[in-house]
Amino acid sequence: MTRGMTMTSTQRGGVAVRDLEPRAAATAAARRAPGRARRRRVSGGATPWVLMSPALAVLLLMTVAPAAYLIWASLRSGTLLNPASSFVGLHNYREVLTDPNVLHSLLITAAFVVVAVSVELVLGLLIAVPLASQSRSNNLAATLMLLPFAVTPAVSAMIFKELLNPNYGWVDHYMGVLGLPSQVEWLSNPGTAWVALVGLDVWQWTPFVALILMAGLQSLPHEPLEAAAIDGASTWQSFRHVTLPMLAPFLAIAVTLRTIQAVKTFDAFKIRTGGGPGDSTEIINLGVYRIALQSFRIGAASALAMVLLILLSLLVPVLLRAVGRNANPEEI
Amino acid sequence: MAPHLGSLRRLVKPLGGLGAAALVMTAVACTPGTDESGSGGVGEAAAKPVRLRMLYATAEADATAVQSLKPAFKQRFGFDLEIDTQPYDALQQKVFSEFASNSSYYDIVIVDTPWAPALASQLEPLSTYVDNAALNDVAKADIADFVPKVFYDTAVYDAKHPAKHFPDSSAAPQTSAITGKGFEIYGLPIQANALVMAYRKDMFGNAGEKAGYQQATGKPLTVPKTWDDFTSVAQYFTRPEKKLYGTTVMAGVGDWATDDFKSLLAGWGGDGHLIGDDQSITFDSPEGVAALQYYQDLINKHKVVPPGSTSASWDEAASLFDSGTTAMTANYHTLKLDSKVKGEIGYAPVPTGKAQGPHFGTWMLSLNKNSKNKAWAYRAMTWLTAAEQQVAMTKLQLHPTRTSVYQRITTGSASDPATRNFYQVLGESLAVGVGRARLTNYTEVSNAIAKAVNKAASGRTSPKQALDEAAAEVTRLLKDAGYKVPGS
Amino acid sequence: MSAITAAGRLDGRRLATRSAGRVLLWGWLLLTMVPLVFMLATSLKPSGIAKELPPRWLFHPTLEHYRSVLTGGSGTSVGFDRLLFNSFAVTLGATLLTVGLAVPAAYALSMRTFGARKALSSWILSTYMFPPIVAVIPVFVYAGKLGLVDRYPVLIVPYAAFNLPIAVWILRSSILQIPYEIQESAMVDGASRWQVLRRIILPLLVPAIATVAILSAILSWNEFLFALSLTRSAAKTSPVGIQEFTGMYGTDWGKLTAASSVIVAPILVMTVILRRRIVSGLTFGAVK
Repeated sequence: MTRGMTMTSTQRGGVAVRDLEPRAAATAAARRAPGRARRRRVSGGATPWVLMSPALAVLLLMTVAPAAYLIWASLRSGTLLNPASSFVGLHNYREVLTDPNVLHSLLITAAFVVVAVSVELVLGLLIAVPLASQSRSNNLAATLMLLPFAVTPAVSAMIFKELLNPNYGWVDHYMGVLGLPSQVEWLSNPGTAWVALVGLDVWQWTPFVALILMAGLQSLPHEPLEAAAIDGASTWQSFRHVTLPMLAPFLAIAVTLRTIQAVKTFDAFKIRTGGGPGDSTEIINLGVYRIALQSFRIGAASALAMVLLILLSLLVPVLLRAVGRNANPEEI
Repeated sequence: MAPHLGSLRRLVKPLGGLGAAALVMTAVACTPGTDESGSGGVGEAAAKPVRLRMLYATAEADATAVQSLKPAFKQRFGFDLEIDTQPYDALQQKVFSEFASNSSYYDIVIVDTPWAPALASQLEPLSTYVDNAALNDVAKADIADFVPKVFYDTAVYDAKHPAKHFPDSSAAPQTSAITGKGFEIYGLPIQANALVMAYRKDMFGNAGEKAGYQQATGKPLTVPKTWDDFTSVAQYFTRPEKKLYGTTVMAGVGDWATDDFKSLLAGWGGDGHLIGDDQSITFDSPEGVAALQYYQDLINKHKVVPPGSTSASWDEAASLFDSGTTAMTANYHTLKLDSKVKGEIGYAPVPTGKAQGPHFGTWMLSLNKNSKNKAWAYRAMTWLTAAEQQVAMTKLQLHPTRTSVYQRITTGSASDPATRNFYQVLGESLAVGVGRARLTNYTEVSNAIAKAVNKAASGRTSPKQALDEAAAEVTRLLKDAGYKVPGS
Repeated sequence: MSAITAAGRLDGRRLATRSAGRVLLWGWLLLTMVPLVFMLATSLKPSGIAKELPPRWLFHPTLEHYRSVLTGGSGTSVGFDRLLFNSFAVTLGATLLTVGLAVPAAYALSMRTFGARKALSSWILSTYMFPPIVAVIPVFVYAGKLGLVDRYPVLIVPYAAFNLPIAVWILRSSILQIPYEIQESAMVDGASRWQVLRRIILPLLVPAIATVAILSAILSWNEFLFALSLTRSAAKTSPVGIQEFTGMYGTDWGKLTAASSVIVAPILVMTVILRRRIVSGLTFGAVK
């Protein structure tokens, strides 16, 4: 007797029909009943809007109002304590777009996002696959896996900073014990600082990617894989040609969400390097924070936020298409 | 029944139950942030409020010391002083957000010197309060007792020209002199921080070390008074194989690097404010280059600092000294050696060059313009910063701001010699300290300079190049903030 | 028969791959546990030996840091027990609200007859792109002016708004995995959209809902910026409180790690509970 339900699935071009045991009778009955089949056209109309309205209300409240304020602020030269100063048109945008530091930060952020998200995607997938099958050891494993994601980000950054301290950190100490060069000044050189920062991001966010991919893997039908096995495909082949394409929508979500989040990275960089050494780790949010929450120049900050928003909204659809290209277009 | 619905129920039931409980708790338990319903509160005859609320820092302004006064406050005033604390960055956001929304929740707000130019319009000017004898009945403001340089640097601003400093910073403060020149008083200083040097007294007093130094350099081993001596002593104590180094530096990218640099710059005879009152760029000068060169050499040529110094801040510098890794350090507070380090700490003023100007910055208590209990809040402020209370708080390492307090704690036999030593040096340093430029976007400017200091410190650029780049960036930043930069 | 030998060979290879997968998984887990071990160990070490090198593994554990953190005797303005309670209430509220809003929305966005679904999905994703550091500024100004400060709903609604894009997209993809024929035949049978949602979609969505719940809970639990701006003392949450153990002049590692461990514990418990729901949701052909 199986727990839960047994499911068979509709493959692309496959044969088996997925049905629920309790519904099988109903489905069969519907098929048999003449004349009833196409009578009720499934209605669109108001229902989806009703279903969406609570979520829409919350989102509109939390985004449209602040967005309107920020657009208004970006066209003025105000500070937090004096917001309604003179209208300056596109001056703030010009300031932001001609600032060499801003352009430098955007490039650095792009590099960080590409590297970090790629690593997290690959690792997340490699972890999600063994974790997707159910077992008691997997329950423990899944809980442990989530722990890095659960620790308060600021504290994680401080712990990593402490572990990598060249004078009394565990990492350099044990590296010395193992015969590797110790006393590496991790945060004093751009190369090692990047390794340290990407490392923290991977440690912290791979669980997020893995969790999404696990959800995807668990909703995948079993039959196509079995069919592929019977057909003689190797594990790798069935993974690449059967599993991955079906997982594509979840891969796309994971990459897109993670990319957007990675652009918003802040705490780790602020606590560990402050943008240094020099400005080699100056991601864009460090500058945004300085302008918005230390100088409180909200005009310039709003303009910068708008620029970021525009860049992201151009990038994201491209990402979605690119990663989800094997998926049913409906599913992206 | 289909088992799948059962599993759904099993998911929803506990969550649903908890959710209902949470909603009930929310409705019952959370208290709305009601404002004080004091009686307007400005006049000296205003009724006592139910409580006063203060927004304060944490370790930066020695919150523990202030919190220790709460029982005495209750006894003296008859109502509670509620203190909310936050560390620096979070505190700054909280302070600004409270003012941005014109909130009257906090009656007294702590203000750090760099924030004051932007906040001046939100703080209640205090000169009329100071002159009103009826409002000084609990404790006298006695502003003449505050260390003059500290007082003028921290609390005295011209609201119409926030970037200006009060011209005569050595005269004892007096309301008429201040308002006569168009300035106003915006708070009462409570914690004064200045760059102070700390050293391992046991190492400097050790006979073997003394002999060794005499042999190596031909001079007696003393606590360095000039920067040249400093280099020599630091080199002597640098023994990497024993994990011992001469001193610490804070060359990571952040405010601390700017502060290191401005102290050195003042020592070389330059303008420790870094930017003039007229927004002229004064750090990109021969003195600036010389000072930064010295800093770069300490780290790269003489190598007297531990690894990781080019990403270090206050925290690391203190940890390194406390763990016995360096013989000297410069920081802004008392230090405490780790239990396994057997030693003794001595304090001394930071070495001088042609001139001196250790960085200093002070926290002040300010009166929220929107407060509904201004009279009593003012009385609370005078009481908290009064000489008696400051003396009591020095037991918990508060840094006093009154001349009389420094005299009392450095001459009396009540306090132990180590503490007396620190406060003596602190008092001396405050008298010659140099504060920051008064800019509304100070953090951005400081960051540009810190980047330059960091680049030079790591040896990747020459001091001249780093400072030139910083000057260009700072010019742009000042213009973006609406200032006119002379000569550009 | 070739099929049998092929199957035998494949099983061997599959076993090898599976073992490799497990080795990788546990290798990753062990590696990532190191910082957490540091955190736990430091929270139990007496302050004097915390920074010793080589790190001391045999020591007398002490609960002084935990005691000090939980009884609020550490100079923090609000007791940690109160902070945890607030975090719990806010996180629970935000998670329930997120799930409650996202499920119907995700279903709506999967309906083929809903013309605006692509545009709305994209718009929802775009709301996620707003940098919170700047979005918080109007909140500073207006929340205070409207008196919407220091209460639970004031955090719950923004957190739901932050989590909705993630929740909606994950749930939508999961719904789209369910073959449309099932919904169609039920509707042909006379079921309304609501009934389809309740009886057909929802049960199949349990694992995805649990996943979304875990993610929302963790993200809400650790949110700092809005919590700092919108609370004073009544609704202050733990990420804001834990900041008080750090500072410019040094970090109290004992108390900081003790506080962090205390903060992580409820998430651990919640994850264990929710994981079992994911497990008991669906098995695929476990026994044929």
